[in-house]
Amino acid sequence: MTSTLTAPLPSRTSSPALDFEALYRAARDDVYAYVATLLRDRGAAEDVTAAAFERAYRKQRTYKEARGSGRAWLFGIARNAALDELRRRKRTAALAAEPADVEAALPEDAAEAALRRAAVRSALATLGPRERELIALKFHGGLDNAELAAVIGVSVSNAGTQLHRAMTKLREAVEHA
Amino acid sequence: MPDHLTPEVERELAAVDDALAGRPVASELGALALLLRADRPEPGPTFGPALDAKVARGFRGPGPRRRASGRRWSAWLMPALGVTATVVLVALVVISSPGRSDENASGGGQTASGRVQESARPQDDASAGASAAAEDGASSETFAEPAPGSVPPAPGDGSPGSDGRSNRRVERSASLTLAARPRDIDTVSARVQDVTRQQGGFVVSSTVNSSTGGTFELRIPTRNLDAAMAGLARLGKVRERSQRSRDITAGAVSARSRLTDAKAERQSLLAQLAEAVTVAETESIRARLKLVSGEIEQARAAKRRVDNRAAFSTVSVMLVADASAAAPGAQDDSWTPRDAARDALRVLEVAAGIALIALALGVPLALLAALAALGAHWARRRRREHALDAV
Repeated sequence: MTSTLTAPLPSRTSSPALDFEALYRAARDDVYAYVATLLRDRGAAEDVTAAAFERAYRKQRTYKEARGSGRAWLFGIARNAALDELRRRKRTAALAAEPADVEAALPEDAAEAALRRAAVRSALATLGPRERELIALKFHGGLDNAELAAVIGVSVSNAGTQLHRAMTKLREAVEHA
Repeated sequence: MPDHLTPEVERELAAVDDALAGRPVASELGALALLLRADRPEPGPTFGPALDAKVARGFRGPGPRRRASGRRWSAWLMPALGVTATVVLVALVVISSPGRSDENASGGGQTASGRVQESARPQDDASAGASAAAEDGASSETFAEPAPGSVPPAPGDGSPGSDGRSNRRVERSASLTLAARPRDIDTVSARVQDVTRQQGGFVVSSTVNSSTGGTFELRIPTRNLDAAMAGLARLGKVRERSQRSRDITAGAVSARSRLTDAKAERQSLLAQLAEAVTVAETESIRARLKLVSGEIEQARAAKRRVDNRAAFSTVSVMLVADASAAAPGAQDDSWTPRDAARDALRVLEVAAGIALIALALGVPLALLAALAALGAHWARRRRREHALDAV
């Protein structure tokens, strides 16, 4: 979730309402993780993430603090970009799996962890797209429940209910895996 | 979907958040949350630096920037062209329709004046005779004969016997219609007489009503006619002005010839009287002398009439009340603060009209555009959600 950025940003990009530089530094890899989970295509996720940040950069003056956090606003833009990509392609590509031979070479406890992650990953694939998106926003994008609700356009309690339901379903899928 | 969380759901979600925050929890969902976070996709090694560079440049790339600026240019161009075309159209409508009725009315006045001028031609001889009679001390009833505001006599066709002569005699006349504010009628009337006197002329007749206006019949030395007309024109708003000239050289020559002939005959009779020897012959010559003396007087009067017609011009002034006329002495073409205020008001009226028309056009268009944008936004959102469901 953490990243180190060294390139200075143009001074004009910052606005009183939104610190784009700080937002970018904090959310770049989170946005990528969310988009990659949604698209299940790493290459496309990189392009869409870059397009989302560019779109956010150009529209940063339209950000209204009263309508939610900058993070929720950014993930809303990323979501739209990802959905546009899905519409454009009309198809999905499987998320590139971690190389099996790497995990096979791990020590025993590490291999155990890799197996659990693989089980979770395959269970995640059984979820519906909206449930998978909730998981991605919460655990890959690092959003809290209020931000998650703002991104998908529902109330916070509704978002919490949906998230709990998705996690319960995922847990059951992992147990049966 | 319930809009409130059950205690159990709240507790499990709190456990998830605690697990993500690094706090120890004994919850299956908490453990699952840690697994999910640990398994999140990571970008390739080149992705981060490449995106950092783009951000550092402000996403300014040669290709996309050109496209973006082109879109921005076209996005502003079309509304700008539309607004410009609307403003030009409205300005053309405003310039071509309102306020032009004055000119049309004036043109109508000119046409009417032309008709009056045509009808006034038969009165020329009477007017000329009246002028001569006035010089001879005739009463004012003679000068009351021309209708008030009648136009001056039309130029004659010239005389075959007089054309080309150097000592030409020309009769001139003019008419002027002035408009003045009702409260200025008396002042303007007095100034009409002042101007007449200043130019060496006199008022033949006048009729003035303090509220509606009046008419003046003036005799102005012909050499001062232009100056008198200019002075009179400054007294009010000129509604109509016309001048006529008529060559009366033939009449002047004829009158002079008759006088010369009569004088010659008288000299001849006087010579015959001196040589007369009988009483009868003397009486006969005396009787003829008496007749010739009468003819000489008539010829002299005729000559004076003709000379008077050439020396003095008849000016008919009609004064009408008009609340919108300028104050006496104000130049018709001068630009006063009142004119400035009127012009400013006119500009404001035009601007308000343009704004109103633009508003009338703009509000429905804006509403339609807002509805279209709303519909497009809703449709786009639906398509996106549908794309997610189709995964």
